[in-house]
Amino acid sequence: MGDSETVVKTPIRVTRSSSSSTTTTTTTTPKQNSPQKPKPGSRSLKNTKASFSDYLLFPKPITLDQLYSSYPCRKAQIDELLHLIGPPNSPMKPIFIYGRPSSAKTSVLLHVFKHLNRPFVYSSCKSCYNPRLLFESVLNQVFFHGKQSTNNYASAKRCEKASDFMNFLREALVHTIATIRENQRPKGSKNSLNCGAGEMIYLIFDNVEMIRDWDSGLALVSVLFKMGDLLKMPELGLVFISSASLDSFYGNTGLMELVPVFFPSYTDEELYQIFMRGQPNPKLYSSFLGVVLKTLCRLTKRVDELSVALVPLFRKYCEPLSDLRVIPDEAMKRKLFSCLQPHIMPSLNQVFKVESGTIVETNKEKEKRKGILRKQGSGETVYEVDFQMSDSAKYLLISAFIASKNPATLDAALFDSTGGSDNRKRKRKSSVTSIEKKDQAAQEMLLKGPGTFPLERLLAIFQCITSVTDGPIEREQVEDGLTEEVGSCGLMSDVLLQLSTLCNANFICKGGSCPLEGSTRYRATIDEDMVMKIARSVNFPLAKYLYRR
Amino acid sequence: MSTGAAADAQALLRCRLSDPRFSLSPSPSPDSNYSKLKFILSNSIFESCNNSVLLLGPRGCGKTTVLELVLRKLQTDHPDRLSVVRLNGLLHSDDRCALKEIVRQLCTDHQLIFSKMASCDDNSQFMLSMLRECALAHKAIIFVLDEFDLFTPGKQRLLYSLLDAMQSVQSQAVVVGVSCRLDADQLLEKRVRSRFSHRKLLFLPPSMEDLQRLLRQILFLPTDSSFRHSDFAVKFNAKLSVIFNGEGFIDILNSVVGVDNSVSHLLNFLFCAVCNMDSGSGFLSLGSFKSAMLSVQRQLKLESLQDVSILELYILVCMKRLEAKDCGSYNFNSIMKEYKGLQDASQTGAYYSRQVCLRAFEHLLECELVGFTDNNRGQSLSIEFRAVVLLISSHELYQGLRSSRNCPDILLQWFDRENPKSHAY
Repeated sequence: MGDSETVVKTPIRVTRSSSSSTTTTTTTTPKQNSPQKPKPGSRSLKNTKASFSDYLLFPKPITLDQLYSSYPCRKAQIDELLHLIGPPNSPMKPIFIYGRPSSAKTSVLLHVFKHLNRPFVYSSCKSCYNPRLLFESVLNQVFFHGKQSTNNYASAKRCEKASDFMNFLREALVHTIATIRENQRPKGSKNSLNCGAGEMIYLIFDNVEMIRDWDSGLALVSVLFKMGDLLKMPELGLVFISSASLDSFYGNTGLMELVPVFFPSYTDEELYQIFMRGQPNPKLYSSFLGVVLKTLCRLTKRVDELSVALVPLFRKYCEPLSDLRVIPDEAMKRKLFSCLQPHIMPSLNQVFKVESGTIVETNKEKEKRKGILRKQGSGETVYEVDFQMSDSAKYLLISAFIASKNPATLDAALFDSTGGSDNRKRKRKSSVTSIEKKDQAAQEMLLKGPGTFPLERLLAIFQCITSVTDGPIEREQVEDGLTEEVGSCGLMSDVLLQLSTLCNANFICKGGSCPLEGSTRYRATIDEDMVMKIARSVNFPLAKYLYRR
Repeated sequence: MSTGAAADAQALLRCRLSDPRFSLSPSPSPDSNYSKLKFILSNSIFESCNNSVLLLGPRGCGKTTVLELVLRKLQTDHPDRLSVVRLNGLLHSDDRCALKEIVRQLCTDHQLIFSKMASCDDNSQFMLSMLRECALAHKAIIFVLDEFDLFTPGKQRLLYSLLDAMQSVQSQAVVVGVSCRLDADQLLEKRVRSRFSHRKLLFLPPSMEDLQRLLRQILFLPTDSSFRHSDFAVKFNAKLSVIFNGEGFIDILNSVVGVDNSVSHLLNFLFCAVCNMDSGSGFLSLGSFKSAMLSVQRQLKLESLQDVSILELYILVCMKRLEAKDCGSYNFNSIMKEYKGLQDASQTGAYYSRQVCLRAFEHLLECELVGFTDNNRGQSLSIEFRAVVLLISSHELYQGLRSSRNCPDILLQWFDRENPKSHAY
């Protein structure tokens, strides 16, 4: 299966993190104020050795054949990496690995190191989301430092500036390389398994493309890329992994002596091979893939998305079968295909169930939120809202959507006491004036996105629609009544509280203030399908109130 | 035996290529930059005077390497007469940080205890007194400022205090600035510039003949006793000369040097070639140089175009059409409208829903074939409404479509046809 690639990735990190949490305090913790201060004698060679292999090596190296067989479609890239990294103790130029997400960059590289059995330090700029975390994560690993309760989960060194990082790193690397040398010497033939380790130490930085979005990120990128020149240590190897290609880093960083290695995304045939791996009934699955893979590949070539999309389809495919071990013949294949065919097209819309690895602008919470919503919404066939929300919040959201969608001039007509529907008709007739104008307006609408509105308009619409609807709004009216006893001020504060909640959840966002009026303007960011669902859940006839051209 | 020799040869070549000092071994001629720089530095060491010099030139031409060679030579010859402080504009562009680093390096050099807590003022006082003390001991302090141009934004307090300290007779120091900006001295403030001696050494990229000499110097194995397998070395060198004189190799070299004629680019190229060395025979072949050229010169946009799925290609073509129409800025909604119009007109293939297209569109944003025109992060519009722009030229897109393995014909038609029937929707 394709997700075996992501599966193999996880145990590595698990073992690494668990090993760091289980190591005793006798490791080389430089923290002097820890309660169980390591005794001077306890830092013997044996202990350093243990911590060294714990922190920087995989427990069990794999052979070259295992490496090739676990990545059948990545032989060229594995060979290229092995060539560039080279034999033990040979200096190398920094390597820059790039390719689209889900093309096995990280896992291939880590497995290459597992095969080579050489010490390396892995840190991902995705989990270490600012320079300090990144620096400290690298330093912790080079210092064999584990965060644990005895040292208050502190890092080995506190380090915020790149200049400090370089100094600490140089100091740490000198020490580590000395440790590695010591480890190498007494071994000889007896411990031949570890002999491949050599005297090099490799630093791997994953998701380098994220750094560009940090504050003064490009400067940090150039520091990292030039780290070899700055430290002047031939024992240091650098590997960078990025999903963006090298040209997006040419900012003011100047010349970079990186050797690029490209991981192309898988072709259709390679995807077929990947998905065929580890199938209990290869014949059946192969006939299934023959039917669906081509269609799905037109949409996306990412293994993670495809593997999620394939699971429900295969279940559907197998539904008519009583025995899953059956080997299908031509007639059965045809039958199964005809059963599956109506499901293929709708399933294309469900590819969205996977959350993408990197959302383009991660600092935009709202897009994330929308992604989740979309995921939930499209996954369900039943039209229901999956999350809990108070009725008044729902109405508020609906009114915000109406306010964003409709032009303000129409409010009076729509929310007239005579009722919405025939007003709307009238409006429609009158709006048919000239086709060109309409087209232009539609074009503008497409470009501009949802409109903004002041708070007063939102509240007015909110009051209108809560007073118009009956049935479930009973509660609302009771609430209104209650608050009216206290005074209109009470209602306001309650709604405002809901509004701020919705703002925080990014369903509604606060725009800039209008230069003329000076008040803050709002904008509904929720999409139409979602609002329709919410409206249905409170039995609100939303369609009647939407102005369409 | 042969594989052992090949491995040894590869290791030797890798060591040579990763050590920039090897490729720029000093030339003895008096007008080489090495001799000039050495003269300037040793002059100020032995005449006990202050000095400042800028090393300018494009990246990868050996400014830092020559400087390091000179410093190493001086340090081995006269270990007690100089101490070197190295700063880098990438790391120490902040004045406080730079002062702290200067003090730290001076402390480690002179076996003094460095206090992390010292204030900026303390540090600057310490530096001045160190300069005085060193001058009394006839010891010159050489400040190397790499990426010199990055020290110039801001108040230039560090540069001022360094150069100002050198106006007095009580100090003995040299400031060496290294920069790839040829106008680096114009970036200085007036008060700093007036204290700077306008001595500049220009480093130029080597000529083709120099590069070819360098190539031979690096790649030919030593046939004397320094390399264990002398038979292998002779054979290796003979093969290499055949390749060097061949027509194919000259073309490759021309194309590599044509892109970037700096030494470091050539070293990068050679490193790839050595890594691609045929492990069976252990000789460098024309093929390894060819593949090295391909890996150094990449068609990045074309590569990422080959990776996109067919739906993503559809979106790209729609965007190209919108740009050809020249209707100003457009966003995802306009793309969808264009796509729908084309789809209705052609009546072929499956029509994908808006959500699927949006996901494909996000993929395109991710791999940076498409970008937003507005860069302000604060804007809260969702992806659909933000104005976008194609980040590849239409020619690149055309090439991508042609070379894509399973690009449907209809897409090429859409690409070519300026005004399809669907235009009047």
